[in-house]
Formats: sequence, structure tokens, C-alpha cells
Amino acid sequence: MAAEKKLKAPKKATEAELRAIHIKPVPDEEKPQVALELLRRYKDEWRSLVMAMETCVKCGLCAENCHSYLGTRDPYNIPAKRADLMRKVWKRYFTPQGRLFGWLVGAEDITLETLEMWYSYFYQCSECRRCGHVCPFGIDTCEVTMAGRRILHQLGMVPKLHATTGAAMLKSGNHMALTPAGIQDTLEFLSDEIEEENGFRIEFPVDKPDSDILYVPSSADFMLNPETLKGAARFFHYIGANWTITTRMTEAGNFGYLFDQALVQKELVNRLFQEAVRLNVKKIVWGECGHGWRAIKMYYNTMADLPHRIPITHILDEAAEYVKRGLLKLDKSKNPEPTTLHDPCNYVRACGLAENLRVLIKAACADFREMEPNREKNFCCGGGSGILFDDPDMYELRIKFSLKKAEQIRATGAKVLCAPCSICKAQFHPMIEEHHLGVELYGLIDLVGRALVWD
Amino acid sequence: MPYIEVLGQQIEVDEDGYIQDPSIWTPEIAKAMAPMEQINELTDEHWKVINYLRDYYMKFGICPMIRKLCKDTGYTLKKIYELFPTGPAKGACKLAGAPKPTGCV
Repeated sequence: MAAEKKLKAPKKATEAELRAIHIKPVPDEEKPQVALELLRRYKDEWRSLVMAMETCVKCGLCAENCHSYLGTRDPYNIPAKRADLMRKVWKRYFTPQGRLFGWLVGAEDITLETLEMWYSYFYQCSECRRCGHVCPFGIDTCEVTMAGRRILHQLGMVPKLHATTGAAMLKSGNHMALTPAGIQDTLEFLSDEIEEENGFRIEFPVDKPDSDILYVPSSADFMLNPETLKGAARFFHYIGANWTITTRMTEAGNFGYLFDQALVQKELVNRLFQEAVRLNVKKIVWGECGHGWRAIKMYYNTMADLPHRIPITHILDEAAEYVKRGLLKLDKSKNPEPTTLHDPCNYVRACGLAENLRVLIKAACADFREMEPNREKNFCCGGGSGILFDDPDMYELRIKFSLKKAEQIRATGAKVLCAPCSICKAQFHPMIEEHHLGVELYGLIDLVGRALVWD
Repeated sequence: MPYIEVLGQQIEVDEDGYIQDPSIWTPEIAKAMAPMEQINELTDEHWKVINYLRDYYMKFGICPMIRKLCKDTGYTLKKIYELFPTGPAKGACKLAGAPKPTGCV
């Protein structure tokens, strides 16, 4: 049964905010029925979800491998038990034993309370897929969270943060509602900074047609992560690239992927290609954003309306390739402090970036220290999938979700934390304070850009 | 919709206290919001930051990068936090009438 105590859940989007992402909320009394219809549809087309629903034997291996459970010890944050919130419903309506014997076999009717439980716990999962990595059956529990959030989205149960971010994206082409004038002014400011630091100016070419490379930064870099933008500019300038940033699609992230998995996500992919065609670019290079890189690398060909042949790469793969070929001269003494690397989950468990991250950090930093565990075994920062909520209950949970990560960082003795992903950075900015970690935070291209040797 | 009362008028704000229509901003609104952001009294130093942010927002439609705010006002980030305990984005920009930031913040 649903928990007696008040559920912790992020603030929901209002009707007006839902309208801005083109969602009309389903009336409460109809929600369970509509949710069930959606789940029935997914049963026929979502194989990884069917596998997750029908395969789990409750061995419990996922429990101690989930940072949400380790930080909260809330049994519903055990991935298998969280998935059970959906599995009970699945059993009740889609299996003969559930239809016949109901609760005796762990089956349960779907009610409004069920959906509130989904809303609470599917937004405490950060979709990091560490549980999927260790599951002996290969069940990717993240797919359950994704299906749950997707259903909730269509009912009108979306966190305010996700809905308003989606709306900003539809309106401005980026998550932070940056304007073209604001983008231009910020980049000029950063060119000034580079001029002060390097002794020569590097411009950020904006909306420049016939560029070879369209660089797609995270919009958060314009507010919080200036060194990441500067690092990218230094890299492109160093290799003599003909590159540009567009003001119409200034977003490496894709919040649509995190709550709707269809409309908003698709819109962003299509806008990207329209922009690439408009500017006649030869290649798209992605900035530092974990979920966004997975969303474009792994999903673009099923999301784009037209088949596209424009290659898409990640700036860290690009830079690593230059290092491997001996084409980047880097001076490690420019980054002398003990430095550790946080592996963004989507990079290492979904996109094969783990080795190239190390090629770069070892080439750019004098004292690199691995945290344990690392690479595809790494733990999430605790903010994954955009659960960067600031309502007091949820903020308190964010601190707990990052407990394991804080231990890992502390054990390295590092003074610099490298986290090449905007969600990770946004989670770490306050969590470094909350856990008294005393580290400075950078992205990876930041450190590479700083170590470049200019002849 | 929640509201705050300013000079006898009701001003619409969202659940986090940001004004809904940035164009209606007045200094009185900033004064009315200050206690909610743990500020007892708005001093000249506060107004320097608020006016800078307000001008920037009106000109560019966004709040500036935090580092630019520090450089242009001459205040360190520490000083900004002393003035606005709830932070530059959630305190200072709110008082300057900008909407709540979205995305990875």
C-alpha cells in the first residue's frame, strides 16, 4: 500500500506551465485509467521495459549499488523495489496469475496513490544505470524510470523544473532562456578574459554560415561554467578550426529526454539539424553534457524527421584524438594540483567515453588521482537526469544522494574535481559546500585549454 | 496564484516568489521581497547590485554570468553572498525582477 507518511516529491508544474510544453493535464479521476492504457501500449512496443517487468528475481544485487539507496536507506530506492511500483500494476492487469489471484501474487490495482508513489520515486532515481550495469540479468531499471516519467508527463505530473526548462527550450532554443544578445555579450566577456589570461584574443564566432564545425555548448556554461566555454574556444583556436556557435540551438542538453522521451526531445533534435543545414556545417561537435550526449548520440536517428548524414562527435573525443596523434602540446604544470575525475554516468555507461577522458586528463594534469570505483563502475553525482530540485525536502535528498560521491572524492585527497557534465557541475556547486569537500570544480576541456602550449 | 503586497497593490509572484511579469518591476517590489531573501534592509551596496542586474536584464534579456556580475560591480562572490544570503541567482536576480532560472542550475 502507499506510504502513510507524506511522500517527498518535487514541486509539480502548474497548468499554465504544462500548457507551455503542450500538455493538458488529465483529470484526477481519469488518471489511473489513462496511465494503464499508456502502459499497455508500452508493453507492446518497449522491449527493454517488458524485460525489466518480467525478468527480475529480486536477488537484491542492485540495492548496494544504488547511490540513492545508499544515501537514504529508503527501501523504495532499491532499484528492484522502485521498479516494483510499476511491476505490481503490470502483474495485476497483464498476467493471468495477477488477474486471478491479485495481491496474493503481489499484484495491485492502479490508483491515484500509485501514481503519486511513481512521481515521488521515479524522480528520486537519477537514471544513472549503475543498477543495470551490475544486474545479472542485464535489466536496465532506468528504462522503468523513463517509462514511468513518460506516463506521468502525459497525465500532467511533471516537476516544475523539468516543465519550465522544457518550455524555455521550446521558446529560446536552450534550457536557460538565453537570448541572442545575452549569448553574444557573454561570449565577448569571455574573449576579454582570454585576452587578459593568454595575452591574445580568441573570438567566439556566432551564427557564422559555412563553418566547418557547429559547436553545441551546454546553456549552463553561459551562467555557471565560463571555463568550459573558454576551454572549448582555446581548443578550436589551437587546431585552427573554422567553427561557430548558433544562437538558435545553444543547448547540448535535452531535458525532453528526461521527462517526455518524445515531443520535447524530438523538437530539439530537429531544430539542431535545421540549424546545421542552415549554417551549412560539415560536422557537429557536442559540448560537456552527459545526458544530452546520450540523447543525441544514441537517439538522433530515431528522433529526427529527416535522415541526416552530418557527423556528430563529442569535443572530448575530438580532443583525445588530437592528443593521441601528438597534435596538442600540453604543459601539465599548468594544472599542478591533485586532480580527480568524476565520470559522468551517461558518458561511461552509455557512450564509451571512459578511456578518452583519461587520455585527456593524464595529458593535461600533473597529479591525476582516480577515485574508486571509477569508469563504468562510478557512482552518480546524485543530480543525474536533472533532479536538481531546490524545494527543501528534495534538496535534503540531493545531499543524501551525493553522500557516496562525497566519500569517493574525499578519499582521493584531490584539490580539483573535474566533472565534464553540466548536471554534475550544477549538483557539485552546492554539494562541495554541503559536504565540506574543499575542492575547485572544472570541466575537462577547461583543464585541456589551460594546459595548451602556444608557440 | 500567490502574490506579494506592495504599496497596497497585489503583485503576482510564482510559488518561489519570483514576479510573473518582469516588466512591472519597481524598486518598491525589491524592497518588499528583501525579507523573504533574508535581507533586513537594502543598503547602497545592495542597490548597486540590483540596479546593475536590472539594467543588464533590460538590455540583454538574461542575467549576466556570475563572474561578470562580480567583475562589473567590483564585489567578490563572497561579498555577493554576504549581501544576498540566498545567492546571486535565487536572491539578487529575483530582487532585480528576473524570472527563476531554469535548466542545470
